[in-house]
Formats: sequence, C-alpha cells, structure tokens
Amino acid sequence: MTRPRSEGSRTATSPPPSASLRAPRGRGLKEQLIRGLFLLCGLSAVAITLLTAWTFVQGSLLFFREVSPAEFLGSIRWAPLTVPQSYGVLALIADTLVITGIALLVALPLGILSAVFLSEYASERARRLLKPVLEVLAGVPTVVYGFFALRFVTPLLQGTVLPDLGFWNGLSAGIVMGFMILPLVASLSEDVLYAVPRSLREGAYALGATKFEVIWKVVLPAGFSGIGAAFILAMSRAIGETMIVALAAGRTPAWPPDPTEPMMTLTTTIVNIATGDHEATAFIWSALFAIGLLLFVTTLVLNIASYFIVKRYRERYE
Amino acid sequence: MGAKTKTKAAVRRGLRRRRALGALFAGVALGALLLGLLVLLVLIATTALQSTQLVAMRATADAGLSLSLRTLQLGPRGGGTAGFFPYVTVARVAPGSPAEALGLRRGDALLRVGEVPVERVSDVWRAIAALPSGVERASIAWVPGRRGLLGSLRAVPVPDRPGEFRVVLSKVAPGSAAERAGLQPGDVLVEAGGLPITGTQQAWQALVVAARTQGGKVPLTIEREGERLTAVLDVERRGELPFQRSLLRAYGAFLTSLNEPRYPEHAGLASAFLGSLYVILVTALVAFPLGIGAAVYLEEYARRGVLTEILQILIANLAGVPSVIYGIIGLEILARSLGLGRSILAGGITLALLVLPIMIIAAREALRTVPPSVREAAYGVGATRWQVIRHHVLPYALPGIFTGMILALSRALGEAAPLLLLGAFLYVSYVPQSLWDSFTVIPLQIFDWATKPQEGFAEVAAASIVVLLVLLLLLNGTAIWLRNRYQKRWS
Repeated sequence: MTRPRSEGSRTATSPPPSASLRAPRGRGLKEQLIRGLFLLCGLSAVAITLLTAWTFVQGSLLFFREVSPAEFLGSIRWAPLTVPQSYGVLALIADTLVITGIALLVALPLGILSAVFLSEYASERARRLLKPVLEVLAGVPTVVYGFFALRFVTPLLQGTVLPDLGFWNGLSAGIVMGFMILPLVASLSEDVLYAVPRSLREGAYALGATKFEVIWKVVLPAGFSGIGAAFILAMSRAIGETMIVALAAGRTPAWPPDPTEPMMTLTTTIVNIATGDHEATAFIWSALFAIGLLLFVTTLVLNIASYFIVKRYRERYE
Repeated sequence: MGAKTKTKAAVRRGLRRRRALGALFAGVALGALLLGLLVLLVLIATTALQSTQLVAMRATADAGLSLSLRTLQLGPRGGGTAGFFPYVTVARVAPGSPAEALGLRRGDALLRVGEVPVERVSDVWRAIAALPSGVERASIAWVPGRRGLLGSLRAVPVPDRPGEFRVVLSKVAPGSAAERAGLQPGDVLVEAGGLPITGTQQAWQALVVAARTQGGKVPLTIEREGERLTAVLDVERRGELPFQRSLLRAYGAFLTSLNEPRYPEHAGLASAFLGSLYVILVTALVAFPLGIGAAVYLEEYARRGVLTEILQILIANLAGVPSVIYGIIGLEILARSLGLGRSILAGGITLALLVLPIMIIAAREALRTVPPSVREAAYGVGATRWQVIRHHVLPYALPGIFTGMILALSRALGEAAPLLLLGAFLYVSYVPQSLWDSFTVIPLQIFDWATKPQEGFAEVAAASIVVLLVLLLLLNGTAIWLRNRYQKRWS
C-alpha cells in the first residue's frame, strides 16, 4: 500500500504522505479493513463470472452425459418433448444467425452512415441535438421493440410487400432488432471516426481531395478496425437479444431458415424451456445449461474480441 | 491553346462530378440518421395512438359492461348464407352500474353504439372513441338474451334423420318479444331473417345477426301444426348509457386496478407497477453499494497488475452478456439453490447482477472526473487514504455516480428476459406484500398482453408501454437534471 507507483498518469492515487509519517496502528488496521472491503466489492464481478461458469459447466456436464456433443451441434432436429427426443441445435443456430444477419444488414449501413454524418458533417449544435435522440433509441426497452415488430412492422410488411408473411416471422424481428442495435453501431463508429487524427485528414486535403474523398478513402479506412469492433459487438448483442424474437419471431424452428416463416433462436429456446411446464428434475432443464453455455461463450468471446480491437486501436492513435 | 482549355474544362467537370458525389454521400448519410429518428417517431406515435383506445375501454368498464366476442358459424349444410358472423355479447354486468339500471343483462347482444353497428368488441370502443368531444352519453341498441327474448327452447331430434334437430319453443317468456309477436309453445322455429335455425343457441344467434344486418324487426318463419307462418319479432331494445371519456380517469383506473385475464377493459397494471417498484428497490439496494465499492477499489486502491487487468476485462464484458444468461443464473442459483423461489428478492438480485457491471463502469467514470489535485491536497494535510476517499473524492463524485446509477436502474426497469426466465408470473391478481411474494413487472405484463389473441389486449399493452416509457423518461430526466445541477466543472 505504501509502495510508490510508477505511472505518471495515476498520480491521483500515489502513496499518501501520511503513510511515511507513521500513522497510529489502529488507523492502519482500519485502513486495511476498508481496503479489503472494497476489494471484496471488486471481486464480486469475478464471483459472478465464476458462478455463471460453474453453473453452466455443471449443468452442461449432466446434459452431455446423455447427449453427445456431435448430436447437439450436428443435428438439425430440436424436439426435446416428442419421442424419440432429439437435441440438435443446428437449426436454432441457423435461425439465430439469419435474424442476426438481417439485423446487421439494417444496423451496419445505417449506423455507420449516421456516424459519418455526426462526426464529419453535422455542426456542433446539430450533434448536440441529434446524439441524445440516438441515446433515446438505445434506451427503449426491448419488449417495446418486440411489441412494435409484432403489432406494427409485421402487419405493415403483410399489407405492402409480403402478403404471405406469417403472423410470426424472423424478418420483422430482424429488422426491428437492427434498429435496436443501430445506436450502438452509430455511437461506437462515431467515437472511432472522431478519433482519426486531424493530420491524416489534412494530408489528404492538401493533396486536393474533396471532403467525400477524405471520408471515403482516408477516414473510413483508418477507422476500419474500430468499425469492425462495433460490428462484432452488434453481432453479439443481436445473438443474445431475447424479447424481440420471443414476441415477434415465434416458437418453431425453421429449417431451412426462411425468414418469412416463424423462427426459433437460441434465446427463445431458453425462454421456452424455462417457462414450459416441466418437472424440476426433468432432463430438459439440463438442455437449458447447454444452450446457455453456448450463448454465454459465444457472446463473451465476441465481446472480448471487440474489447481488444478497440483497445489496440485507441493505443495506436494516442 | 485549345488543348489547354480542354483540360481545364475537363478538370472542372471532374471536380464538379467529385463534388456532386460528395453531396450525394452527405445526403445519404443524413438520410440514414433521419431514418433512425423516423423509426423512433413511428414507434412512439403508433404506440401512443393504440393506447388511446384505453379511454374508451375504460368508459365501457365504468358503465358496468364487460364485453366479449362470439361468432355464429353457418355451415354450408344449412343452405343459403354460409360463413362466420361475429357479434358482441355482454359477458358481465356490474351490480349497481348504469348498465344494470338500463336493463342490460349477462348474455345480451349489442347491436349498435351511437347508431354505429358493432360486429366486434373493438367496434364498440371505436364507436365510443368517435363520439363528439363533450358528449358523455351514447344510445345503444341490444338484443336481450335467449330467455328474455324468446323463453325456453328445446331441440327435438328429427325422426329418420340422425344428427338433425328441430328447435321447438317450449315456453314463451312473459313480456318477451316472442309473446308480443304471438308465438305459442310448441311452435317450431325454422328460419330467422333468411338464416336457417339448427340449434337452440343458434336460433337466438341467428336472430341477433339478422337484427344487426336487417334492422330491429326480424321476420321469423315458424311451423305450427304443419303449417308455415311468418311472425315479425321486434327483437331490439334501446337506451342510453353514460360513457365518461377522460384520459386522466382512464389511466388512473388502469394504474390502480388489478389484472383481469379475460376482459381487457378491466385490465389493470397495479400489481405490475408495484412489482416493478419493489424489484427496482431491491436491485438498487444490492447493486448500489457493490457498484460503488468495486469502482472505488479499481480507481483508488488497485495497483496495475494481472488481477486488476482481469477485473477490468471481466467488468467491461459482463456488461455485454445477454440478459437471458442472468435469468438462468437467477433461476438456478437464487431461486433453486438458495431457496429464494420466484420472489421479489430473487428478481431484484438477478437484476442487480445484470446492472452491476454498468454501475461499476459509470461510478468509475465519475471517480475519474475528480482531479488528482483534490486528492493530493488532502494527502498533503495528512489524511489517510480512506479519509481522502470519504471526505473528498466521494462527495465530489457522488452526483456523477448517482446519475450512472439511475441510468443503470432504468435499464433494469425495462428488462424482461431475466425475470421471464426466473418465472415471475405473467398473471398476478394481487398486490405483492412482502419480499417473498411472487410478482410481475411492467415489461412482463406488456409481454403477456402483447401475445394475447383477444381483441383489446394489444391496446392495453400499448397503454402499459406508455406508462413504462413515461417512467423511464422521468428517471432519465432526473439523471440529466442531477448531472447539470450538481456536477462540478473542473477546469
């Protein structure tokens, strides 16, 4: 606690001068206790992660004792309640990816273009006015988006371009999910574009490039990895989204994955199992952990990947 | 000379094209941003529009009516008209209500509201909503229920034709339309307004549908002693009911009444509203101290090392773990292993786990805004580390921390998935009394109502969305106000 720290940027927490003046003993003990208390709070995050991992691994072990991983990941038939039972998640993964893909098709172009407008074209006043609106869009609860998809977007699509669209379908869930993750993409990309150093832009201007050419050929390529991080994070968010798909996409796995049909994602499957009327000891509960583990690992890996991309990117320009 | 001007023109043309491309791009970028805003506007506008029906729905409830949709199905076997004919029946009349005073009874069928024919329950609400403002009464027309309209009916099997019945009037109710039209016991009902009569309940339904499409006086073909006769039944009754339309009253009643699974006009948000409140309270009490503690440790105590690095990565990435995952943890560890069950306590702690990383990140940002000079000055006069934190760092950072906490709580308030998994009940018809009670929250109530097939529940869900969004707006407004009011600017 009294060892001096080397980083100049963190002088705030450099050793208290009082320590070298030998504080009374009781005071030192109290300080240690308080420090310990704060450390415990900090460790709660580790505890949550370990608890999660332990729960999922333990539950999954039970599951994989009965069902081989090859069947789990290799079969397209998800039928835990009909005899013969089958626990293949391939169709669920396919449905999840199709809906995620639709969401990204909406969110990425719109998000990146919005970010370009905010960071490159908008005046300071317009930025201050428009950015909070995007934050509002991000703050709308997902169950509200689900309601919107089910009661507005699906009827709208049925009434205009796709009269054969089902009441439940992956398409409108995906589109609405795209708008849900749009603020995330926009705000991350904007940070990235804003951080592109002025010298790069000015160099391009000096060569006679127009503003569009500077953005298209210099700023966007320079921010490419940061935008990639936004892409990964948006993907992770879309894969883990639950309420929109639970409301609007239906509860039947579609194979082949056709977004105009009802679809069932990994998250809806979890909801289905958990809200189903099963005995507390039923084997199907362990499937909850296997799918949960799959989801947890996938999203955690994606998040950490994007975390490191952003971190490396920041260091490059700082 | 000529060649030179040509290149100049070409350069100018090229520049013009490049500039036009740039302008196009700027336009597309602005369009993308505006599209996002447009969707937000459409979302809010459609929801608000749908929610306005709550006023008319509550007005029917106040008049004492519970309505439900029934359908007369005419098979092709009957000949003539086939198809589905929906109509609205009175499912319940509140005792002592204006509807009861007017003589409406359970089982009656509504024909018109304010001269608008009604086929579905939503037609009734639409008709009430369409009344001119200031008008608080509307005429209604209805057909009394089977016993009040006719009397007792009996189905008698047709000899030699298995599965076919003749509908015989066994008793004529005194003062009924049947008595006034001169029907007698023993008459066989054959056809009502052109619709064939095949069953006892169906006979009355046919009269209702005929009355709605052809007017109040329905020609009824009967068979009396082998002879076919036509009687004209005056089936319709009229009266006036008060329909008080007031947004404030409607939302007041909506927020204070309990849930009602069958009749959306009586549905209330009281259990979910209080459930949300209690759950958020538990979440705040658990996550607040833990969040501040972890943030203080990371900002004020932690040395740079492997542990700190791992902690930071975990916290940053736990914030992005899907919320259903927390639902599984809550279900398995809190509800089952620790035996908390599907209680408010379990729900609150589950959401606390969910928002903890967000709270830690927000609190760290707030702590980081306190300049080093403050800490150094305190150390300079001999304060211990805890004294510096307690008396100098925390007081300055607290408004920022509070802002972050409120934003994290507003995230928890809108969260449905973990609680859906935890098994918060979708239908709760009581107000939770203790931390151990089962509960429901507003987002779950929205989820439940949005998936109900009966008419009217989508509108009730929209009204709950309005309530939820207003709550979120209030929370976020408080956070912004706090930030602007108390945040010290360090220059």
